[in-house]
Amino acid sequence: MTSPLLEVESLCSGYGALQVLFDVSLTVGEGEIVALMGSNGAGKTTTLRTVTGLIKPMSGHVRLDGAEVTGRPPETLVPRGVVMVPEGRGMLRDLTVAENLALGAYVSRDKAAIAASLDQAFTTFPILAERRSQKAGTLSGGQQQMLALGRAIMSRPRLMLVDEASLGLSPIMTETAFNLIAEVNRTGVAVLIVEQNVLALDLADRAYVLEKGQIVATAEGADVRTMQGRLREAYLGRAAP
Amino acid sequence: MLLSQVVTGLAVGAAYSLIAVAVVLIYSGTRTLSIAMGEIGAFGLFVGLRWRADGIPVLGWKPSALWAGVIAVVIGGLLGLLIERVVMRPLVRRPPLDGLIATLGVALFLALLELKIYGEDPVPAPSPVGDRVITILGAPLPATRVAAFVLATLVAGALFVFLTRTKFGLATRAATSDPTVARLLGVKVNSVYRFAWGVGGALSGLTAAVLVPAFGQLTPFAQTQFSLRALAGAVIGGLDSIWGAILGSLLVGVVETVVQSNVSSSQNGYASMAVLVLVLGTLLVRPRGILGTAGVA
Amino acid sequence: MSPELFAPRRRPPVVPAVFGLVLAVVVLLGPLLLQPGKVSTLVTAIAIAITALGLDLLVGKTGQLSLAHAALLGVGTFSAIGLGGRGIPWPLAFVGAIAITAATSALIGLPSLRIRGLQVAITALAFQVFADSFLFQQNWVKDNTLTFTPPSFFDPAQHGFRRLYYFGIVLLVLTVLVLRRIDATRAGRSFVAVRDVEARAVAFGVTPGPTKLLAYALSGAIAGLGGALIAFKEGSVNDVGTFNLQASLLLVAVVVVGGAGSPVGICLAAFFVRALPNLIPPGASLPVIGEVATSIPILFAAFLVINVVANPEGTGGQLRSARRRIELLLSGPRARPSPRPQATDPVASAVRAADLRDVPRGLPSRLPVPALLTGRDVTVQYGGVRALSDVSLEVRRGEIVGLIGANGAGKSTFFNAVSGLAPVQGSIRYRGQELVGTDAARRSRVGIARTFQDMGLIRADTVRQNLLLAQGWMARYPQSAGILALGSSVRDERELRRRADLALELFGLDHLANETLGGLPYGTMRICEIAAAVSTGPDLLLLDEATAGLTPEEANALGDRFLALRSELGLTLVVIEHHVPLIARVCDYTYCLESGQLIAEGTPDDVTAQPRVIESFLGKGSLRESGSAASLREPAPA
Repeated sequence: MTSPLLEVESLCSGYGALQVLFDVSLTVGEGEIVALMGSNGAGKTTTLRTVTGLIKPMSGHVRLDGAEVTGRPPETLVPRGVVMVPEGRGMLRDLTVAENLALGAYVSRDKAAIAASLDQAFTTFPILAERRSQKAGTLSGGQQQMLALGRAIMSRPRLMLVDEASLGLSPIMTETAFNLIAEVNRTGVAVLIVEQNVLALDLADRAYVLEKGQIVATAEGADVRTMQGRLREAYLGRAAP
Repeated sequence: MLLSQVVTGLAVGAAYSLIAVAVVLIYSGTRTLSIAMGEIGAFGLFVGLRWRADGIPVLGWKPSALWAGVIAVVIGGLLGLLIERVVMRPLVRRPPLDGLIATLGVALFLALLELKIYGEDPVPAPSPVGDRVITILGAPLPATRVAAFVLATLVAGALFVFLTRTKFGLATRAATSDPTVARLLGVKVNSVYRFAWGVGGALSGLTAAVLVPAFGQLTPFAQTQFSLRALAGAVIGGLDSIWGAILGSLLVGVVETVVQSNVSSSQNGYASMAVLVLVLGTLLVRPRGILGTAGVA
Repeated sequence: MSPELFAPRRRPPVVPAVFGLVLAVVVLLGPLLLQPGKVSTLVTAIAIAITALGLDLLVGKTGQLSLAHAALLGVGTFSAIGLGGRGIPWPLAFVGAIAITAATSALIGLPSLRIRGLQVAITALAFQVFADSFLFQQNWVKDNTLTFTPPSFFDPAQHGFRRLYYFGIVLLVLTVLVLRRIDATRAGRSFVAVRDVEARAVAFGVTPGPTKLLAYALSGAIAGLGGALIAFKEGSVNDVGTFNLQASLLLVAVVVVGGAGSPVGICLAAFFVRALPNLIPPGASLPVIGEVATSIPILFAAFLVINVVANPEGTGGQLRSARRRIELLLSGPRARPSPRPQATDPVASAVRAADLRDVPRGLPSRLPVPALLTGRDVTVQYGGVRALSDVSLEVRRGEIVGLIGANGAGKSTFFNAVSGLAPVQGSIRYRGQELVGTDAARRSRVGIARTFQDMGLIRADTVRQNLLLAQGWMARYPQSAGILALGSSVRDERELRRRADLALELFGLDHLANETLGGLPYGTMRICEIAAAVSTGPDLLLLDEATAGLTPEEANALGDRFLALRSELGLTLVVIEHHVPLIARVCDYTYCLESGQLIAEGTPDDVTAQPRVIESFLGKGSLRESGSAASLREPAPA
């Protein structure tokens, strides 16, 4: 049996004595888009921080292609084909667009491959080519989102982790951001998208709902759509109109 | 007259600027303000000069003055690496003040250790580049001063090229901008910290090697005054700007020399008063320093 | 002296009493065993300890590092010699030295009004260098013709140094008492607020600038006392080695190794580095370290580094944990109080706490203004980003108003605008009075209290201390008066304490009053913050994500408390909340923000039914692509 690309098993994690995650398990397969949904404080960001090794888990496992990577430092992720788009887009604000993109391919030594990735980033997001020598901090929110995604694909990842792409964006911009994520996915990159905004479910092949640090629901295929309705209810406290 | 004072001041400032660049490198890379750089360099030179006098233990080889300088650079760099690994790395997530206090402890420790091992007697420090005096624009400059000037320019230029043109330099700037994001992109921030401290320590050794011979001897705590001037230069120029550090140090060197040359020799304190005014003035008018970025303030 | 002058102790003081007794015996009888000549070095160590205590006040309490305290010690010494040597009676010379040093220190602190952190340390360092190479070289400062002769009762020439030693001990004890008063009154709480939450300290009626200068002045005054003691002992000073940069670094080392906030640790550290080398017979040596006396300073510098890295609480921290361990041995494990709030009847406890509403208020408390808070075209702009644009809304007395919207919609910015922490264009009126353009400290005086999304309290302090801090606007006495227990300070403090306890009881937190806030679960901290806001006796309470970190049951219980606060204490509430069911249950009216703009208002049910709100909150796709309406109505998962 082949192992899933990313496998999280019975993960418990938190900050100091404060446990935030309780037995969280999830998987992401090749080429899939998986959504991890939850409201504020449900433990979404903690999940990603633990998976990427920014914090050490209390117990549980994180595996990539079946290989144990639990608690490995985050700098070892990119060489393994995993890239993260952090909450708030993770701009290196004092660096230019071109430098941000170059850092996306920091671990790669293959100059031809880097040039090809850069081409791809510029083709996917032409605005980045125009703004290449501008400081990242001076871009608009939407352009920053493009830069974040463009930088992420520079390393030719197999899995992209996206933390709250909708944060601080207007509904229209959010939709654009999600479309961009879908575009990246079409190039064969599996995506774990962590969101509060239920629009993310439109993209997802599968979905998990996180509540108070526990997975309380999962859905697949057509069920993902019905999950939207249920989440709406959970958020709004009543049935939809 | 004034011109030659300015030239002398620039030469003095150039020597400060080497330490100032070390301070800036460490501040940019790790957000720690280190006040130990003078002592790190002095300790390295102490070892070099002692070995020059007594021979290297076991080997028995007595290095020349030039080699003593090289030893100072190497020991300075090694000390920098050691301090990074043992003292600074555990402090990465702690408030910046803790880092400052730790470097203060390191400075105190090194100075007192020198005192204990080598005693109060000054160690003769001959010039590694000969004793010729070169006259530039009416200012008689010892060869060490000229060497300091040349080295400062070369080192700053090299670091600037390194930080802006190389991949590791880019990684360094990324780690400075946001260590977490840098790590997620695959940058090993620990190696950035190691680089900053290693090169910073080596630069401190280099400063000691070219600055101290101008006074002919090295005593414990003698470096403190210089490293403080360099610190002043770094703060004035902007703590995260290499060119700022050089500019600030040159300014400190010139102001100090000009003031000192124009007041009665018994009152050499006026020079430090002038430096105090310069530091306060800069910080109050422009807290980030002349070329520093907003993050400093 | 009434025990009430100081913060109450939380454990039965058996262990500290025994420790204190042993310490007192050693301190009082120790010098009798020493050769009289050796006592001299103890007096110097006392002066260093006093100065280090002054430095600890600055570093530990306000977070400002001074690398110029040896210079201040020198200023104190030379001032005392300059005054006493000119025939001024010694007590006046002491007072003069203290005043001059305090003023010098405040001067060193001036740059801290404009710059912060590392740079302030540098300016102090520059002053130290200036003092070393200029000030202490000047003849008008270091006047060798002057001698400060102590009265014959103390004169070391006649009696040796023992009498001076006991005099020094008295000064040291007085210093510790003054420091404890600072801790227990407005001054100490303001210092910590400036250190930990400077930008928000105004919300507690603390103005950062004067507070910092006060800290510098007090710290300098204490250093001046140390200097006067040295002057008293030496008569005249030629060697300025005690006042140089190295001495300043050693003072920092004394504070760090001794442990911030621990007078005993600091005194031990001062004794170790300053007195011990002179007490050990010269030539005594140990393996590895060699001659002991000359190794002590090196060891001490190493201790400094080790402490910063591995033992940030210093010797004081070790003493505290030793005490805890001994107490545990003596009494067996004690049940720790549950770190969660206790469930109490919301209405009954609110009735008991009705007294909280009784506050001195400049504004008449029952003006016939229906709208308590009115915002007109409120715009907040940070650089090029508009965090709020043209928001107009109204909060009526006795309402509970909900403020909803996605992350980053501008909800917290609105709170910042109301509480004076954001640059506002437009108008915000409270009881008909314009708030825009008035200082933030005014908000608590007129009756507005708030909580912060990310906790606006001091984690390092106890729960009760935080509640006392929050009521800052009601402590009317000057900060300095509190230190000397003058004026209304004792009465005011008693009143604040009573109110704090009322508020804690109201929220079922009384059993946690003496716990360190940072050690409690996040949800409990949030409730503590609400209790702190309520303790200030507000009319209008702004709560930013009050239920974050709470269990569903606790969140539900908090909803009942909101209702009780309204019905029994007559409070008006504005709550930012993500949990819409809670909004629907407790709110009378709701506003929804999106990207800084108001997009909907009305009753909670109306607002959450509007398509624009749903779209903003949940995303548009849920309507567009979600298939039949029937699929949306499936029952929620179990």
